[in-house]
Amino acid sequence: MFDFTLTEESSATAPSGGLYDVIIIGGGPAGMTTAIYASRDGMKVLVLERESTGGLAATTERIENYPGFPDGVSGMELMERFRKQAERFGSEIVEFDEVASVEPVEKGLIKVHTAEGHVYEGKTVVVSTGSRPKKLGIPGEDEFYGRGVSYCATCDGPFFKNKNVVIVGAGNSGLQEGLQVLEYAKSVTFIEFLPYTRAEQILQDRVKASPKTTLLFNHRVAAIQGQQTVTGVVAVDRESGEEKLIPTDGVFIYVGYSPISQFVTDLVETNRWGYIVSDARMRTKTLGLYAVGDVRADNPAQLTVSVGNGTIAALDIRDFIRELNS
Amino acid sequence: MALLNNEIVQQVQQRLADLPDPVKLMVFTSPDHCDYCKEIVQLAEEVAATSDKLTAEVYDIRQAPEQAQALNITMAPVIAMVGAKDYGLRYYGIPSGHEFSTLLAGIERASYGKPDLDEQTKTYLASLSQPVTLQVFVTPTCPYCPRGAILAYDMAVASDKVVAEVVESMEFQDLAMQFNVMGVPLTVINGKERIEGAAPPPMVVDAIKKVLA
Repeated sequence: MFDFTLTEESSATAPSGGLYDVIIIGGGPAGMTTAIYASRDGMKVLVLERESTGGLAATTERIENYPGFPDGVSGMELMERFRKQAERFGSEIVEFDEVASVEPVEKGLIKVHTAEGHVYEGKTVVVSTGSRPKKLGIPGEDEFYGRGVSYCATCDGPFFKNKNVVIVGAGNSGLQEGLQVLEYAKSVTFIEFLPYTRAEQILQDRVKASPKTTLLFNHRVAAIQGQQTVTGVVAVDRESGEEKLIPTDGVFIYVGYSPISQFVTDLVETNRWGYIVSDARMRTKTLGLYAVGDVRADNPAQLTVSVGNGTIAALDIRDFIRELNS
Repeated sequence: MALLNNEIVQQVQQRLADLPDPVKLMVFTSPDHCDYCKEIVQLAEEVAATSDKLTAEVYDIRQAPEQAQALNITMAPVIAMVGAKDYGLRYYGIPSGHEFSTLLAGIERASYGKPDLDEQTKTYLASLSQPVTLQVFVTPTCPYCPRGAILAYDMAVASDKVVAEVVESMEFQDLAMQFNVMGVPLTVINGKERIEGAAPPPMVVDAIKKVLA
């Protein structure tokens, strides 16, 4: 009934140091794929991760559209497999240390500075930091964060057994996580800003099949209310303007994502949402700096796309380093 | 049946191969309402078997009041990781899922006796004159939680005044409810100030300053 997940940790297993062929910032699917390809190719690889490796994919209860797993696979298990594969070929992984800045020194030398004060040197650097859940920016959201407002159903879901829950956002993420919450919550009310959902049909069917589900389309969440903890949300019917108070114990927010690119914005081009522009070879405008996965502009946030990006970057890095050495 | 499979055992052996100081895993169990006491004892014993630097000692909290008092332990189940001295590293509940990493990090901290912190944070913690208890509430399915938990362990190793208690929220629901925990990780400082999410060291230091002011 218990499983035990072992991840590396920074202090005891210090990285070997020296000049890396590639330093990968972010240990999600895109970063780990780059690591697998590059280390298998004999390159010296370092992966820096601010939390545990696995990225958002690891917080997904069940992944059903990753090829090769006909019965689906837990996100955590799949990402553990990615990691093991990278380690098998010699990738070094440091967790729980966040990158603070990236400093290009000269062609073939980029320094990476972390919050804990470590400095690593690489010939190339891959940004695969992904994205973090977006906030609604409404009254009560920050106040009740950790007191009923959550952005991670996998983390905080257990607190809402037999309780009423509101999920804001009925896209793929909202419905996917909502399905998980439906397993133990007393009721789940999905509130969607649009008059319809863009989620996959299979998810819609499953959510609608539960008697505990209520779906509210074309509603805007205006405020989160509570005392010590959340007691309700105020939703506004966008057509009639009618305000409704929906009593709830918890609010899970899945209204999209914003990129984690702030620490390199001076080195790359970003689109208006802050996603990093990289070309077909995953190169950014700074020589030796690559961007892959969910942080990359115009990418659909899909595991298979991240895996593809990571592959392309690793192959291009091989060429780049060959050229450096010649 | 073993809780840890062979693959994990090998990884743990590798990771703990070079531990400098011996570490005692002191497990305190309780005869009442302890759903997983048996498993916690078994886990501590299986982990202890991976290295000759590790030993597991099991106590019933009621029948070993002296040992519990010496470590200032009043709740069970708990694993206290005690190295060359007691750095104040505690894990309440069963460290499963992502929290298994927290347990191993705690063992390493207890053995090395060295925190992985920046100089500024270490200097501040070394200057503390009042006791600080960092309670970090976690769930085993939370990938962000070990970061908060391990930071608390680092701080406990950095100062004799700091005790780090990582609490599995589902096994200590009453305690979690007392602090209105509905999201993890959550760090509570001396039962007063709370920090939601995995906070960086300066944020925790600021919160400690606020509590002690």
